[in-house]
Amino acid sequence: MSTTNRPSSSASTAQTPVTGRRRSILASRPLLAWRTVDLLTVAFLGVAFGIAYWAWGLAYQAPGNALAAVFPPLQGIVGAPWLMAGVVGGLVVRRPGAALFCELIAAVVEALPGSQWGVATLVSGTLQGLGAEVAFAVLGYGVFGIGAAVLAGALSAPLEAVYEWFVYWTDWGWDYKVIYAVVLTVAGAVIAGGVGWLLTRALAKAGALNAFPPGQEVRESRPV
Amino acid sequence: MRSTPSHPARRSGSRVLSERPPGHLEVRGLTWRPFGRREPVLPGIDLDLPAGQRVLLAGPSGSGKSTLLRAFAGVLEVADSGERSGTVLLDGEEPGARAGAVGLVLQEPGSGVVSATIGRDVAFGLENIGVPRADQPARVTAALAAVHLEMPQDTPTHALSGGEQQRLALAGALTLEPTLLLLDEPTAMLDPGNAASVRACVAEMVAARSLTAVVVEHRLGPWLDFSDRLVVLDATGRVVADGPPEAVLSQHGESLVSQGIWVPGHPDPEPRGIPVGTFGEPRLGADVVALDAADVTVERSVRRLDGSQRSTVAVDHQWLQARAAQVHALVGPSGSGKSTLMLAVAGLMGRQGGEVRTHPELAAGGSRDPADWDTVDLARVVSWVPQWASSTIVAHTVLDEVMTTSRAVGLVESESLARARALLALLRLDHLAQADPRHLSGGEQRRLAMAAAVVHQPALLLADEATVGQDRLTWAAVLGIVEGLRDAGSAVVLTTHDDAVVARADRTTVLERPSQPAPDPAPRRPLAARCGPLSLLGASALAIPAGVVSPRWPTSLLVIGLVVALASLALWAPGQGAAPHGRVRSVATRMVPGGVAALSVGWSTWLLGGHDLEVSGTAVLRVLIIVLPSAVLIRWVDADALGDHLAQRLHLPARPVVALSAALQRVHTFGDIWAEIARARRVRGIGASRRSPRSGLAELWALTIGMLVRSLQAAAQLAVAMDARGFATAHRRTWAAPARWRAPDTLLLLASLLPVGLAWWAPL
Repeated sequence: MSTTNRPSSSASTAQTPVTGRRRSILASRPLLAWRTVDLLTVAFLGVAFGIAYWAWGLAYQAPGNALAAVFPPLQGIVGAPWLMAGVVGGLVVRRPGAALFCELIAAVVEALPGSQWGVATLVSGTLQGLGAEVAFAVLGYGVFGIGAAVLAGALSAPLEAVYEWFVYWTDWGWDYKVIYAVVLTVAGAVIAGGVGWLLTRALAKAGALNAFPPGQEVRESRPV
Repeated sequence: MRSTPSHPARRSGSRVLSERPPGHLEVRGLTWRPFGRREPVLPGIDLDLPAGQRVLLAGPSGSGKSTLLRAFAGVLEVADSGERSGTVLLDGEEPGARAGAVGLVLQEPGSGVVSATIGRDVAFGLENIGVPRADQPARVTAALAAVHLEMPQDTPTHALSGGEQQRLALAGALTLEPTLLLLDEPTAMLDPGNAASVRACVAEMVAARSLTAVVVEHRLGPWLDFSDRLVVLDATGRVVADGPPEAVLSQHGESLVSQGIWVPGHPDPEPRGIPVGTFGEPRLGADVVALDAADVTVERSVRRLDGSQRSTVAVDHQWLQARAAQVHALVGPSGSGKSTLMLAVAGLMGRQGGEVRTHPELAAGGSRDPADWDTVDLARVVSWVPQWASSTIVAHTVLDEVMTTSRAVGLVESESLARARALLALLRLDHLAQADPRHLSGGEQRRLAMAAAVVHQPALLLADEATVGQDRLTWAAVLGIVEGLRDAGSAVVLTTHDDAVVARADRTTVLERPSQPAPDPAPRRPLAARCGPLSLLGASALAIPAGVVSPRWPTSLLVIGLVVALASLALWAPGQGAAPHGRVRSVATRMVPGGVAALSVGWSTWLLGGHDLEVSGTAVLRVLIIVLPSAVLIRWVDADALGDHLAQRLHLPARPVVALSAALQRVHTFGDIWAEIARARRVRGIGASRRSPRSGLAELWALTIGMLVRSLQAAAQLAVAMDARGFATAHRRTWAAPARWRAPDTLLLLASLLPVGLAWWAPL
């Protein structure tokens, strides 16, 4: 079955109200029928994020140690950028599984050149991606504004935090562990959610998402 | 030429019933308006292409030729979205009805490459339509022979020249036995030799198989012998001429020329002179050497994901003098290092030997070597027009884009603004002055990059293939600017394959392809390399419990000892042949992040944990235990093999898995894109500067966005190429390579269980 030749996305565009509260343009139906360009875009986004994650793995140490010296659970702040791929993947493709797939590929790529977590990044990637996926699923894959992005960023954090309790923060007491989870969640909402939303908008404006709902939202708002 | 075994689909369906040769294309009332455009790009096209006809489709830049071709292939909505109406029927069916019935070759060589090796890449379409593995090799071999790619099938796809990559794309289309072949300016980016080889290949294929063929091209000459029909679109996308090529040319020749189409027999256009006084006074006297490059050698090394490096000599002991008020053409086959030499002399790429000196008048910061200059100093003297104009775009309107460098180097705004407007008018971009430059067509972006490079009147202009893809009118405008800048006293260096450009140059340097050191014979393979991707990943993952469950440092010490011993075993390469080198160094490099992290963790644990050396020592060892196995094993995971195993062993869904391996295949290109954007920003005066720390952050954001945009564009192009080879409907794929679980895989997993067991049960 192919959905690639159906201009079904145009139907959803037509419903977009011009004034009032702007609704998100949705992916073509059925939602589970991933187009080739959906798959490749998530994969390429994941690779790009994976490279950035790897670089952040080198760069985060200095700010991370500084925060640890102030109050160790604050290290959740520097952990938040690692939650962004799922948010962006979900915002761009708007199909079930996009957030998880994107975050997971980023984790694979991050592990490939050698990082301080080895393939443990795959575990983190799965947990983080699942969290973002849950957020989009709760919203019925029907809302993709800044609110949805913030929720996805926030929900990327809890599973990861719990996993880290048992692997990286084994020496901490429960007070530290709980505060860490809260810090990671708030930072995830702001950094992964907020910045992820800005990044998606910037990509749409740059004309890189023409085949996707965010690209249509930008383009139909100011035709040339 | 060998004949390929017939595909079952060839003998079934409507074609047999109709008893007519296949390949009849009917287009009725086809319109297409992409979202975000007020006017349709295709305004209602009607065309009837009988089976076996060879059509040359021409039209000025931006007339919708490529869009029409994608509509013929049924892939319009693959990478774009919009409103479509009308019908396209191939032998009475939608073009996608049989996967591969329409073969599509895109303009950019390599944009449709899916796999790491050429044999696997050709097999991609066969996998998609579910051809049994046993039947694939014969068809792959036949297709490669048909396009005269005679190298071994495990040749890496990235090692091919542009022309070879286009022929590989032809072979990939050929295996699916198309009845309609579509070529989108297949030779635009190739040097003359490669272009001729591709044309010959197309002609041979089309004749041997009686294919219907459509070639999009705005240089008609080389394709006239091939075609028996010429269809011309005007700037609005309407068909304005249609018929046998000779008849169309004799009736409409003049009007085609005036629309900008390159018609054979008409002299090359004269560059459009720019108004006298557009530029100011020259900085150097005429014919003075502005830049002197002596004995320049550049080696390029590509670090791949697995940590291995391959080094090639890109520029071999080359000399170049750029003189004020002269145009200097750099010519030579692709791979001869023209672009690299240009970057090296402009201080935009490191060199391994030789000297570059500008004229003392142009020196900055006490140095005459542009490589030493700060971004603003460099921008004042040197400008560069890259082949990929889209990567240099930094502003949100065309006018701001053109003004970027003038503002960065602090020129008087009113003077540069007047010059910018004059140049935009000359390049026919003035009506777009307030448009977003990222929404322009490729040809428009190239012209914009030229305007943006000259507004501040640099003493040296370097332009890489600036006339590619331009029609006669815009060609004349681009050359007009080049010569106008020269006449105002600047030195100009151009790389080009365009004979008309070479003919007008004041000097020409011909570069030869540098001879490469012979590749080393294949070394012995370490034991780890004999394992499949799943066991490599699994063994790396088993390191996590091994690290986590160690209770105290004496146990951890024992475990790390065992891990080191096992790592040495994994790197051991028994057998005959040369020893592989760099094994230990590669592991050491990959351990750097882990080592830094281990120290950092140890330090903070010591600081916060009451200066307890035992606790912090355990923390350090725990990180090392987790990281070392990955550092040893992961580099042997191969992208194609990973896809094969995930799909066949773990039964994960086929299409996401293929998308993953196609993306992993291109990881190394991300670094190249990053570097190119950084170069463009530096030479335009807005790169990161030692004088301003804030520019570093701006640079980071710009580079990230730029890299993402380019890679997403690549993803969209690849999606078109993959869907043209049946990937959209590949729900029951076959796999060209088996994915067996072998004895080494089991042994590796068992060995990796040893540290876990030791950590768990050690009595310490």
